[in-house]
Amino acid sequence: MRYYAYYPGCAMESEGVPIERSLMAVAKILDIQLKELEDWTCCGCPGAPIHELEAVSIAARNLALAEKTGLDLVAPCSCCYRNLKNAHLTVTEDHRIGPKVNEALSAVGLHYGGSVRVRNLIDVFVNDIGLEAIAAKVKVPLTGLAAACWYGCHETRPYGPDDPEFPMWLDQIVETLGATPVNFPLKAQCCGGAQLISQPDVALKLVWKLLDNAADNGAVVMATTLCPLCHSNVDSTQMRVNKRFKTKFEMPVLASTQLMGLAFGLKPGEVGLDKNIVPWEKVLSPYLKVRA
Amino acid sequence: MSKKDVLGPYIRVNDPNLFVNQVAAEPGGEKVRECIQCGVCSGSCTTSEWWQYQPRRVIAMIRAGMKEEVMTSASTFYCVSCYKCTVRCPRGIKPASLIHAVEAIAEREGYRPRTRTMPLYRSLRNSIKSGRIWELGTFIGYYLRVNPLTAIGALPTAWALFSHGRLKLTPPKKTRGADDVVKIIQKLQSMKTETGGVR
Repeated sequence: MRYYAYYPGCAMESEGVPIERSLMAVAKILDIQLKELEDWTCCGCPGAPIHELEAVSIAARNLALAEKTGLDLVAPCSCCYRNLKNAHLTVTEDHRIGPKVNEALSAVGLHYGGSVRVRNLIDVFVNDIGLEAIAAKVKVPLTGLAAACWYGCHETRPYGPDDPEFPMWLDQIVETLGATPVNFPLKAQCCGGAQLISQPDVALKLVWKLLDNAADNGAVVMATTLCPLCHSNVDSTQMRVNKRFKTKFEMPVLASTQLMGLAFGLKPGEVGLDKNIVPWEKVLSPYLKVRA
Repeated sequence: MSKKDVLGPYIRVNDPNLFVNQVAAEPGGEKVRECIQCGVCSGSCTTSEWWQYQPRRVIAMIRAGMKEEVMTSASTFYCVSCYKCTVRCPRGIKPASLIHAVEAIAEREGYRPRTRTMPLYRSLRNSIKSGRIWELGTFIGYYLRVNPLTAIGALPTAWALFSHGRLKLTPPKKTRGADDVVKIIQKLQSMKTETGGVR
């Protein structure tokens, strides 16, 4: 059994519901104990572009809470992961802003010493659990499922730990499950993030590029990390993309833990697939029949 | 003719009012002087096709003191924070953070670039005060602040999420953490007035 402090992030309570459900189911099978960080708040990421110091200070509050548990802090959301890691590096390495952060934290009686390891879950799956352990749990290999493994930005940029330009860890996980990761040059491209709200033209074109590139390379599903923002941006906007660019994409978007859950023999409902927007029944039916 | 007339107005390089020094004093903008104008940032940029002035040019304009032009163009607000420029920059400048520093100055000094991203960031930042972000409430607030008609385009997304149980209709329970967040923000504001330093 491995223990981690778990920082869900705000999006896990709304568009991330299917991802969290699949994560909890998979964590149970892989003997991972995720202890939700008590009294966590927003990571500060939403305001980061217009007030860096505030964003870092609010993130550091969560880090200070995590420090008390003495565990590694895992964040499924890529944006939370980047912002928490950014706060950690600011406090430990930036001698100009770092002290100000702890001064701000003193207002609530907290102090961040800089000892927390901020991790993302793909890192945990590959380096802590190991691909062999994952392979050992596979009951229904996803043989022949062509998946485009898409990482988004903040999972690896700018703080890694996987390669920031051409990451491979998710591909390795997907391959372990028996599926076939296709060549996907845009695997670390951006989905537009919050600009879907303010500049839909920009975000929809970026999503279109991703879908177009994935389909061109023969993918039938898109596998994402655990980021609820990446996942919902591509999942919930496909009909808007189709309308705007006169395309007919119907590519199910599955979080890595949803694919893992299916391969581990869980039912679609147990990994939150009923909450996925793009229809997935047709593509995934061969792997569901085996089970019945 | 005096020597001063020939050389033009005298500029103090470390004048804090110079645009380049303002950016350098902002968290993230420290290395603005170290740019070698290679253009890797502009070439890497996910959204450079939309920028009026692309990142390399923005940095050149900052150093040329063209504050009005940079601040009133919507350029920097097209940054989607993908950090490709940051991992590629040969000088380690972190252009994305530099662009955010420019955005922060624009927001603080009340410039009004023609973009809806700035009000979005404001709405999002405001909602941090409730501890956890409630997306529906935040975005409704944003649409009311800009142009409610633009919400029509987003309705298909909202409906898709709602009909699959992925849009939370009620705000999250207020936790003790929310008070902490407000206290931290107030403390930061008081630090700003005490020290008079960077924010």
